[in-house]
Amino acid sequence: MIPVRAYFRLFTGYLRPYRRKSIALAVVLISTIVLQLANPQLIAMFIDRAVEGREVSSLVPIAVLFMGVAVVHQLLAVLATYIAEQIGWSATNELRAELMDHLLHLDMGFHKGSSPGELIERIDGDVTALSNFFSSMIIKVLGNGALLTGIIVLLWFESWIVGLSITVFTLLAVFGMLRLHGVTVPWQKAIRATSAEMYGFIGEQIDGTEDIEANGATGFMVERFDEIQRRWLPQVVLGWTGWAMMWITSMGLYFFSLIIVYVLGSWLFGIGTLTIGSVYLVFQYVQMSHNPIEQIREELIDLQKAGASISRIEDLFARETKLVQRDSKKLPRGALSVEFSGVTFRYDDEAGDEIVLDDVSFAIAPGRVVGLLGRTGSGKSTVARLATRLHEPQHGSVRIDGIATWDIDRRSLRNRVAMVTQDVQLFRATIRDNLTFFDATISDDVLLDALHRLELDEWLASLPNGLDTTLESGSGGLSAGQAQLLAFTRVFLRNPGVVVLDEASSRLDPATETLLERAVDHLLQDRTAIIIAHRLATITRADDIVILEDGHVIEAGERRSLMETEGSIFARLLATGMEEALA
Amino acid sequence: MTMNQPPFRKAMFALIRRQPIRYAFAQFLWISIWSMPILVGLITAWFFDALPNGIETNTLIVICVATFSYAFGRSVFIMLGMRNHGSMLFRGSAMIRRNLLQRIYELPGAATLDETPGEIVSRFRDDVEHIIMPFDLSVDIAGAGFAGAVATAVLFTIDPVITGVILIPVFAVGIVSNRTGFLVRRYRIRARETTEAITGYLGETFAATQSIKVAGAEENMLRRFKVLNDERRTMMVKDRTLTAVLEAVFRNTVNIGTGLILLLAAGRLTTDGAAGISIGEFSLFVFLLGMVTDAAYFLGMFVARAKQGTVSFERLITTLRGAPWQRLFAPNDLRLDGEPAPVADDEPEPEPFRVLELRGVTFAYPDTSAGIETVDLTVAAGEFVVVTGRIGSGKTTLLRTALGLLPKSEGEILWNGHRVENPSEFMVPPRVAYTPQVPRLFSMSLLENLVLGDDVDDEDIDESIHIATMTHDVDMMPDGLMTMIGPRGVRLSGGQIQRSASARMFTRRPQLLVLDDVSSALDVETEQLLWERLFTARSGVATLVVSHRQPAMARADKVIVMEAGRVVATGTAKELQESSETFRAIWEGTSTAERT
Repeated sequence: MIPVRAYFRLFTGYLRPYRRKSIALAVVLISTIVLQLANPQLIAMFIDRAVEGREVSSLVPIAVLFMGVAVVHQLLAVLATYIAEQIGWSATNELRAELMDHLLHLDMGFHKGSSPGELIERIDGDVTALSNFFSSMIIKVLGNGALLTGIIVLLWFESWIVGLSITVFTLLAVFGMLRLHGVTVPWQKAIRATSAEMYGFIGEQIDGTEDIEANGATGFMVERFDEIQRRWLPQVVLGWTGWAMMWITSMGLYFFSLIIVYVLGSWLFGIGTLTIGSVYLVFQYVQMSHNPIEQIREELIDLQKAGASISRIEDLFARETKLVQRDSKKLPRGALSVEFSGVTFRYDDEAGDEIVLDDVSFAIAPGRVVGLLGRTGSGKSTVARLATRLHEPQHGSVRIDGIATWDIDRRSLRNRVAMVTQDVQLFRATIRDNLTFFDATISDDVLLDALHRLELDEWLASLPNGLDTTLESGSGGLSAGQAQLLAFTRVFLRNPGVVVLDEASSRLDPATETLLERAVDHLLQDRTAIIIAHRLATITRADDIVILEDGHVIEAGERRSLMETEGSIFARLLATGMEEALA
Repeated sequence: MTMNQPPFRKAMFALIRRQPIRYAFAQFLWISIWSMPILVGLITAWFFDALPNGIETNTLIVICVATFSYAFGRSVFIMLGMRNHGSMLFRGSAMIRRNLLQRIYELPGAATLDETPGEIVSRFRDDVEHIIMPFDLSVDIAGAGFAGAVATAVLFTIDPVITGVILIPVFAVGIVSNRTGFLVRRYRIRARETTEAITGYLGETFAATQSIKVAGAEENMLRRFKVLNDERRTMMVKDRTLTAVLEAVFRNTVNIGTGLILLLAAGRLTTDGAAGISIGEFSLFVFLLGMVTDAAYFLGMFVARAKQGTVSFERLITTLRGAPWQRLFAPNDLRLDGEPAPVADDEPEPEPFRVLELRGVTFAYPDTSAGIETVDLTVAAGEFVVVTGRIGSGKTTLLRTALGLLPKSEGEILWNGHRVENPSEFMVPPRVAYTPQVPRLFSMSLLENLVLGDDVDDEDIDESIHIATMTHDVDMMPDGLMTMIGPRGVRLSGGQIQRSASARMFTRRPQLLVLDDVSSALDVETEQLLWERLFTARSGVATLVVSHRQPAMARADKVIVMEAGRVVATGTAKELQESSETFRAIWEGTSTAERT
């Protein structure tokens, strides 16, 4: 089926602000249709008068009028396109923005499961298919639909029997095409799915050229590319077959109509019901009806694409964040306490998925600095993600300042709980935009002050255009460590009460790390902090220690007392660490 | 745009040359499909001429049967034509995409591209499509041209004067399309640029979702997105309106022409054609005029689209980065039908590794002062060499340049004393394997990620996983080695990715291992264990690593200290503690922190 209902369900809200433009569009469209219907009447009149042997002077004005009507019609058609494109792009832009807003607010579980390439395809590819759908829908389908209706009405005026026959065949053809449409939508869907897979693959390749080339895997990747193409080709050919079926159906209608003209025309002319001009008029209208049907058919291709796109967009809108907001309490100023009580977490809700944290409980008093230790994969990063509410535990709760995270206003939580992760993501934009996330309200003074406190002034001065320096894509010409310094500045710019440093200094060489020490001291002053590190060096500033293993807390306590406790895991770890220092 | 861009038609010829038979078949089918309607015009003319005198039933039956057979025949041609066309266009674009991908692999893997990954994806998708579109239209244009020529010839036999007059607006079509080509092109470039800005921005945004969320920056990101959207809307509306104007001009040609026929026929039109023109001839004139104009219309659109294609063609040439444009259409071994050809794996065993030397190797990142300058470095068989230095001192750049992942501007690389002409092709397994600082894995099974298509036996895989300290992790995964990873499978932690990438390197059994800073993702114990296992299992292998951890440096046969892109000291950790200020700072940076 044509997804008109679904389309309007999705789209009406976005069209509402453009009511006046829409009315203007309707007026222009109706005018073009009237003019189109008028022209064959002029020709019929011309023929009948010519055959009657009327004066040339009475024929010339008709010919001139015919040309005038045609020119005005085309001018209006251009105007209609202009208005429809304006409305279409404005309205779909709002849809794009809303979709992006929705996606950005979905939980990280969703984002881990979708590649950026796929989401580009969803937000831009699918919505653009919709915006084409809009202009097609209004101009081509509705406009041509109205034209077709007008033609049929006028045919009824010429002769009811011609009108009736053409009506029946048109309805049959439209019905047939709708049925065909239902058959071919899944074909189009398959093509689009492979397309998304393909461009997801390309995106991954572009990102991983270093790994692929240095490990001699280009041949292997090319073969994977080929494999996708081999799957894609038959789908594409099937898609074209679907369009051929549509074309043949509409052509079939045209030829049945022609046969009707021949048979009924000769009969009605014979009994004197129609003049020769009228027979020609009927022929012209049948010719004309072929064009709108043809255009509707062509647009059905777009409609098919849009049908698949609509259902995918609706799927996305139907995706709800797993992070349900139950209340919107605000967090107070100053350092905040953090408490994990009985937290059990797995990334997938399904029971089979590996449990990452199992009944984890610990509490951090305001202003305390906790060092979180554990082997790779012990669940440290997950603790960070739960504390910042990127995910939510299946059991137990995470409380900031005594309030469960799901009861805290999102904005308040984001302002008051900050995190620096291993992977710093930069945008191809200026240093300023990278620091502020495109927030133009943050003044340069504030930025410069933050950079100053991080002792990055010298580095800033070395950039060709200071804050206006544009970072290139990828690492942006910054080393991983430098990128991390930028991430620190991002956190500095806010005034969080809790700071989570997940491996924050892991990419810094010790000399630079020393440089950062003072800045970090400054950042942690009067703030609660969770510092996650594989290295003991990173947690020397911790007041308390929590050690994780396989998702369990295996030791927790004050750092100094643990150090002195004989046989504590922490003391043993320190010893290994000392070994490192002595090795 | 440079002066010596190849003309776009060469691209078209190249596409045709790659599929001559399919293209010839397409031409035959589409010329037929386009020309067949002339028959409808003739049948109708026959009908109108017979009508005034009354049509006999037998004649009517003949007309109807002829029409019906015609419809059936054309349907068959349409079905064949569409299927052949879909296949041909797909093969053309698949070939270009394949060549683009291979070209990207040929380029130094770590060189910063001017485009974001999103923009590159748009090259693969949209620009390729824009090149294929004129190729597609070229078939239509031949069909329309042929049909138009035949129709014109038929008209001439009826009335040369009227035919001559109505061809004037048809020629006007060609001129208009030529004149507007420039404008079409300019709008198209801008419209494409604004679209790329959006896809690029979306790509970066969704790669950075976690940072954005933690920073609570969703609203800011959205605001910027809206600005980009607005820019595109303006350009798109202009682009589409211009297209509509062109279309209106073409369509009007038919109407003006019909008006001219009416003017010229005034006073000469009778039922029997005694005064010059019969009704049937008149209907044929109007009908065939439509066909001739369609031909002109398609010619015009072809010119306009071809110009649009030129933009994309130029952009793809940029993406080729120096390779000749022919590269886009070069024959490759992509096989779309049946099974792929088995890859011949007859690479000779490389000669034993003795020594790798870098002499005066220099690389500078464009637009920044960063890079490395006249670096000398030697790694001999069995040596464990550590590169260390402050942040931004060029450690990673050094590794990448040595491996050909960045193009050196000066200096030379010698392998066993022989100059390496093309390091990016030479410095790969089985000679060298590499794990970058932030390794990438791909959306496929863990096993596929490890072997990457190589023929590795199970024991080697198990051993590599063991060395990389991954055995426990693999056991815990739902499907073991067959577990799908990436967006559609399980997510791995940073450490797991790092260790998988290391295992990937070990399975290739290289003569020289190159690792960029594993400390960021591995704890001390794991790292220690990894080194132990590596030197036990693969004794004698040469290793070049970036590290600033004491155990690695202390173990090293040689430590290279870098500062501001230059090697400032070389020696063992012990020697350097005496001689190098920078090294001491790094060494003590670790120990001060860990002594507390």
